[in-house]
Amino acid sequence: MAPAPGDDGVTADVTGGTVPTDEIIRGTDVVKEYETGGQTVRALKGVDFGIAPADFVAVVGPSGSGKSTLLNLLGLLDVATSGDVRLRGEDVSTFTDREQTRKRKETIGFVFQSFYLIPTLTALENVEMPRMLDRTPTQTRERATQLLERVGLGDRLDHYPDELSGGQKQRVAIARSLINDPDILLADEPTGNLDRDTGDRILELFDELRTDENVAVVTVTHDDYVAEAADRVVTLIDGRVRETEDRRANFEEGPDT
Amino acid sequence: MNPIRWLVGRFPTLALARRNLSRATLRSALAVTAVVIGVVAIGAIGMGGEAFKQDQLEAYEGFGGTATVEPASYIEEGNLTNTELSDGDVDRIRQAAGSATVLSVHEPTDALVQTQSGTLLFRAQINGLANPGEFYETRNGTIPDNWRQTVVIGSRIADQNDLEPGDRLRVNVSDEFDRNFEIAAVLRPQGFSAPLGADRTVFVPTSQFESGGYEQVIVRVDTRTGSIDGASQAIEQEFNAREQVVRVEQVQEQREQFTEFFSTVNQFLIGVGAISLLVAAVTIANTMLMSAIERESEIGVLRAYGYPKRAVVSLLVAESTILGVVGAVVGAPIAVGIGMAVNQLLLGDPLAFTAVGIQYVGLGVAFGVVTALVAGLYPAWKAANKRPVEALD
Repeated sequence: MAPAPGDDGVTADVTGGTVPTDEIIRGTDVVKEYETGGQTVRALKGVDFGIAPADFVAVVGPSGSGKSTLLNLLGLLDVATSGDVRLRGEDVSTFTDREQTRKRKETIGFVFQSFYLIPTLTALENVEMPRMLDRTPTQTRERATQLLERVGLGDRLDHYPDELSGGQKQRVAIARSLINDPDILLADEPTGNLDRDTGDRILELFDELRTDENVAVVTVTHDDYVAEAADRVVTLIDGRVRETEDRRANFEEGPDT
Repeated sequence: MNPIRWLVGRFPTLALARRNLSRATLRSALAVTAVVIGVVAIGAIGMGGEAFKQDQLEAYEGFGGTATVEPASYIEEGNLTNTELSDGDVDRIRQAAGSATVLSVHEPTDALVQTQSGTLLFRAQINGLANPGEFYETRNGTIPDNWRQTVVIGSRIADQNDLEPGDRLRVNVSDEFDRNFEIAAVLRPQGFSAPLGADRTVFVPTSQFESGGYEQVIVRVDTRTGSIDGASQAIEQEFNAREQVVRVEQVQEQREQFTEFFSTVNQFLIGVGAISLLVAAVTIANTMLMSAIERESEIGVLRAYGYPKRAVVSLLVAESTILGVVGAVVGAPIAVGIGMAVNQLLLGDPLAFTAVGIQYVGLGVAFGVVTALVAGLYPAWKAANKRPVEALD
């Protein structure tokens, strides 16, 4: 496995009170509640987290334990009900929708479980999509081509999603998530539905990204194989962090729980 | 970089919008069809109406310098009084109007016309006239110099009943006569606004009438040598000095009334056409809503990847506007084609467009595009405001 360059920089824990300057996003005592059918569901019940450059964190846990909620908060798709979430020191709850959208574009790359490729666009155009409105078509095209070559799809640029296999779609989705040069890659079940060989290639790609571009990878997974490859494993059960594996835990239970 | 690539880079929203529409081709085509119908309705009704108006106005042109004089009837002790002008009145009119041509007209109210085979011509009107040749030109046949024993008919009567010179008609005017006449001539079409409604009239020689009363007198001044205004005033002075005995109306005034009336009718018809665009708007709004719902997660992805709400609104509004533009682009030539057909039919020249007629096509196109744009706003706003988290679940 590739070295985890983030390890040395990320030594903070909340109880210690030190917030390392290079941390990308940090949450303290984060609670998230949903209203469903008149009932309030507490999806996260006071969780601390911190992601530093080049981290590789696997979030595991049974369904309904709050994994997706956590990923949404990290991805700035949602805001916490209470607690403090800071993106490079800025309180995300103060962001307007527009700021939130912009920060998302600058910081986060998403790889969705069901890829969500746009069927009318070719592989190359799908990768370009997040930057299509930037009016820099030449640079975007170059970058998108590089990324697809990098994920081994240099010969599939003009294929439409329905002409690609599951693994190829997954790799297009990863290439797309990287087009904006994100700091954090959020991957939901990145190896789900993939055979072991393809899964291996995707994990290798994650390692490369971390080493070469300092991208932090946070993945929600059911796959032990992926969890083993991560520097840190965070187990969420019923909205709380239950255990952290071997390495320094930046995910902990909040002080009030 | 090739030009298409450049365009896509330049207008990425339009490029994306076009591809999204191509995803549900049939649905897009149906929405476009709705716009086409609306644009064609407005354009064709507007242009057709204009052509019709031109046709009628052309007919009026022939009657410039014409006025009608009618007795100003009133009701006294339950009876309609002063319904006719006498020979003496006609003479006074002739003197007052100076050099004008004066045509006295019998307009019997109780009259019937039958063809040889016994068909009753309900719509036909019977007028007694000394010499229709002073006013009208013939299409077939000739009006004899000393016209006393035959009839002359309008073009519409001739066409609708397959009548031509040489055929016979039985004319019955109560208290006057009931006999068969040979048709001497068929007149040229005059348009419905011609005085006396010549197209649907059977003209009978005045000499057939025994009574000396006329329901109408037509005065025509050669506009190169005299003025109908002057003649009208002179007639008014002669008859109406103390009380109104006759009503003098210039055809020009009738023309203005007609134009005004016609504008109202045309606006109403265009309003009806506009309803079809309203239907198109509903269709487009429905199409866009369905499309937005189907693509909810995809739009969620766009938002997740940093597309601002505005971009999502632009994308969906661009899609609906493209539907409108395509509909307008397809509809406008169809409307113009229909307009050309109507022009050919009514004015004899397919290219006889008026500026106003063309404006109606422009109006249809503008309405089509704007309607589509507006119809796309709500679905777009709705899609853009869906939180990406919900859209991605």
